[in-house]
Amino acid sequence: MMPTKRMCLLAILGAMLVRPLLSAPPSAWEKPASELADQIAAILGPGQAHLTIRNLSTIPTDEIPTIRRLLTQDLKAHGVVMAGAESANTIRVTLSESARERMLVAEVGEGTQSQVAVVDLGPIATQTATTQERMELHKEIDLSAVALANGTTLSSDDPVMALVEAGARLFVLRKDSVMVFARNADHGRTVEASLALDLKRPMPRDARGVLIAAADGNGFTAFMPGTECSGTFSPPAETAALPHNGWTVNCHASDDPWPIAVDTSGAPQLKAFYNSARDYFTGVVSPSVGVDLPPFYAAAMLPRSAGNAALLVGGIDGRVQMVENGSLRVVTGTRDWGSDFAVLHSGCGAGVQVIASSSGEAASDSLRAYELPALEAVPASAPLAIDGTVTALWAAPDGKSVLAVVRNAANQYEVDRVTALCN
Amino acid sequence: MLRRFAISFSLVLVCVCAGARTRPHYGGSLRVEVAGDPWVGPEGLARRLVLDGLTALDANGFVSPALAVEWQSDSGDHRWQFRLRQGVHFHDGSPMNAVAVVMALNTACSGNCPWTAVRAVGSAVIFTSDSPMPNLPGLLAGGMYLIALTRTADGQTPANPIGTGPFQFTSSNNGQLTLTANESCWQGRPFVDEILITGNRPTREQWLDLNVGRTDIAQVPPQELRQAQQQHLAVVVSPPVELLALQVSDAGALTNAVLRAALAQAVDRGALFNVIFQKQGEITASLLPQSLTGYAFLFPADRDLNRAIELRGGLTAPRFVMMADFDGTMQLAAQRIALNLREAGFSVQVVSSPSSVRPDLALLTLPIEGADPAAALETLLRSAGENVPVAGRNPTALYRAEHDFLDLKTLVPLLDLPRAWAIGSRVRDVRLRADGTPDLAGASLEGTQ
Repeated sequence: MMPTKRMCLLAILGAMLVRPLLSAPPSAWEKPASELADQIAAILGPGQAHLTIRNLSTIPTDEIPTIRRLLTQDLKAHGVVMAGAESANTIRVTLSESARERMLVAEVGEGTQSQVAVVDLGPIATQTATTQERMELHKEIDLSAVALANGTTLSSDDPVMALVEAGARLFVLRKDSVMVFARNADHGRTVEASLALDLKRPMPRDARGVLIAAADGNGFTAFMPGTECSGTFSPPAETAALPHNGWTVNCHASDDPWPIAVDTSGAPQLKAFYNSARDYFTGVVSPSVGVDLPPFYAAAMLPRSAGNAALLVGGIDGRVQMVENGSLRVVTGTRDWGSDFAVLHSGCGAGVQVIASSSGEAASDSLRAYELPALEAVPASAPLAIDGTVTALWAAPDGKSVLAVVRNAANQYEVDRVTALCN
Repeated sequence: MLRRFAISFSLVLVCVCAGARTRPHYGGSLRVEVAGDPWVGPEGLARRLVLDGLTALDANGFVSPALAVEWQSDSGDHRWQFRLRQGVHFHDGSPMNAVAVVMALNTACSGNCPWTAVRAVGSAVIFTSDSPMPNLPGLLAGGMYLIALTRTADGQTPANPIGTGPFQFTSSNNGQLTLTANESCWQGRPFVDEILITGNRPTREQWLDLNVGRTDIAQVPPQELRQAQQQHLAVVVSPPVELLALQVSDAGALTNAVLRAALAQAVDRGALFNVIFQKQGEITASLLPQSLTGYAFLFPADRDLNRAIELRGGLTAPRFVMMADFDGTMQLAAQRIALNLREAGFSVQVVSSPSSVRPDLALLTLPIEGADPAAALETLLRSAGENVPVAGRNPTALYRAEHDFLDLKTLVPLLDLPRAWAIGSRVRDVRLRADGTPDLAGASLEGTQ
C-alpha cells in the first residue's frame, strides 16, 4: 500500500549510528608514536633498524605515512636511525585491534631474537567524535553517551523502561533506578542524580514501567510492577548540600493502576491495572470505558472528530482494537504492528497519527505513521528503519514527538526522538 | 577473507533470529536437544538454568552482579569481599546466605581453587589467598563456581540440584530433564513454563526432530554449520568461545622442552581447519583470540615440518598416547594430528577413554569467556589444569604472560571455535550468553499466553 502524499518520511533526530572515527588528526598520533618509540629504543638502543608498518585494523591506511613520520622522528631522537632491508635490526609495527581496543604493536628483531612492544590506543568506542555532535546538532537525547561519561554500564541487563521530559529535566526509569538529567548550558545533558529504587518485588524479565513528572520538573512518580516510587526535589541550601543533589525518593508496595494516558497538564486521563508477574495490563481500566477490554500491551487516547476521543488498545493476542462510542471494534490493517504504539500530534494530514513499531517480520525494526479515519489503519509514511529493536514508545508531553527506546546491536540502549516533517 | 566472511555470516544469523519485535509471551514448554549430558561439565546447559553464580557475564562479556551485588578487594587483591543480594531463596525455600554460599563453594572447588580460604561474615563472603587474585570476580562467573544448596533445612544432602536460578529441577526420566519456571526468581520469572532437555541425542536426529517440530532448539557443531545452512535451519552462532588445543605432558620423554617444541611445530592447523572443521572457526596459535586481545597475530600458526624434524634431532621418542573425547570430530582431529606427528618422526596412538596413566598428549576444548582478557586467560588456563594467576591487565603484560606460558609448549593452541544452535520457528528472542550457550530464561514461544 502506498503512503499518502501529504506526509513525508518521518525524520528521526538522532537515529544515526555512532560512527567510528575513521581518521584521527595528526596530533592524535604524536603521543602513541612517542610512547612506542620509547619502548622500541629501550629494546634496541642506539643504532640502525629497518622499519615496516602494516595495518590489521580499521584505522584508515592513509594514516600510516603520518605514523611512520612521527615514529621515525621519535626514534631518531633516541638514536635509532632508519636503514634499509639489509639491516640486522628490524622494527615491524602493526596497527591492530581487538573488538574493543586499538593498539600499536612493534615486533623488534635483533638477529634471531625478537621482542614485542605494545601501545594501547584506548577503547574504540571513545575514539568516536559524532556523539556529542549528534546531540548538539539535533538536540538528541543520547543516554548512552551521557551514562558512559559517568561510568555507568548500559548493558541489556539494565533496560531503559520509560522516560519523560519536564521543565529542564529528563527523567529516565531504569530497572531499579531513576536517572535525572539536567540540561546544561550547551544544550547537552548531564546527570543530576541517579536515584536507587527500593523495589518491593522482583521485576519481570520484560521489565516495564510508567514515569510521570511534575510539570515544573521538581518531582516524579514511577510505576513499576508491584512498586510505586515518588521523587521530590528540594533545592539544597548553599551551606549544606543534600545527597543526590537535593533529590529524595520513597517507594512502597502498590498494585494501584498505572496512568496510561495523561492530558497536557500531566493529569491522568485513564489508568490501567498491570499484571505484576507478566508484561501486560490486565484489561481493567479506571474510569471504566463501558466495555470489557482484553489484556493488552499498549493503549493510547486518539483524538477523534468533534472533540471526542477513542481508546486504542493493542491486545496480547496481537489484535488492535478501538473503543469508541461505547463499543469495542477490531482495527484492520495492523498486522504489521508490533506491541508498542504512541500518538503523535504532527499537524500534518489529519493532524494526528499513530506511530507503531513493526511486528518483527522484517530483518530490522522500523517505525511507521498510520492514520485511522475509520476502523482501518492507513499508512501515512514510509517505514523508518531503526538500527536495533524498539523496546518502548512514549509520546512526548507536548505530543509533537515520540520518544523511542531502542536496544541497539551492541545491546545498549539509546533514545531516539521521532518527529514528522510535512510535505 | 574467509574469516571475515565467517564473522559476517555469524552476525547476520544472530540478527535474523533475535529480531522479533512484539513483546514476549508467557507460557509453554520449550524443548531442547543436546548431544551430551546437559548437566555434566561447567558449561552444561541445565546447570546454568538452575544455578546462579556470585557474578555473571552479561551479553557483552563484562562481569555483572548476580548473587553478589557488590565486591571489593584489598591487600593487593589477596582478600576479596562479596556482599550478597538480600531476599534471594533457593528453590526449596531456604534462604541464600553467606553460610550456604561458602558451603557450596567448598563443595564445588575442593582443589586448585583460585582462593586459599573462603568464609562467611554476616551477609558477605570473604575470599583470601596467599597469592593475588586480580581476576576473581570474572573467575566466579564461570560454570565451575555456581552455587548449589549442599544441605537442606533438615540437614540432608539434596537428592537433586537446588539452586536460585530461573528454573528448578523437577525430574529426570529416560534421558529427559524437566525444569520448571521459578515463579519467584530474583531475576524475574522466565517466560516459558518449563524446559524439557533431551541429552545424548545425535546431531542428525536433533535436526530431524527440529524439522518435524519435535524439538525447538538443537545443537549445530561448528563443522556442520555449512550443512545446517544448506538445510535452511535458522542458526544462531556465537563468536569464538572455545579453544581447541593440544595439551602436551611435561613428563617422561616430554620433559625435554625441545621435543615438545618439535611436536608443536609439526601440527598442521590448516588441515584441521579445512578438512575436519570445514573452515569454521579461526586458526590460532594464541590462547586468546585476536578479537579479545588484538595481539594474537604475533603468534605464528604456520606448520614448519622441517623445523620439527630438526628439533627432534634424530631422537627416537617412545610411542606417545594421545587422548581425545569419544566424540567423532575430536577423534578425527586427533587422528589428523597423529598423522602430522608421524610425518615428523613421532609415533602416536590415539585413545578415547582416560586411562589411569596420564596421557602424553590430550586434545581439549577450553573455554574462552568474557570481555576481560586477563580473566579469560586465567579461566582458560585453570580449565587446562594450570594454576597460573594472570596479574597484568595491559596488552604488553598480557602478551608476555601468554607468550611465557606458550613458550613452555605444554599447550598448543589450534583453533578458536564458535558454538551454534538451530532454532525452531516458534521460539523467539534467543540470545547467546558469553559462553555461547543460549539464554533460555529470556526465550519465549509464539502462540502462548
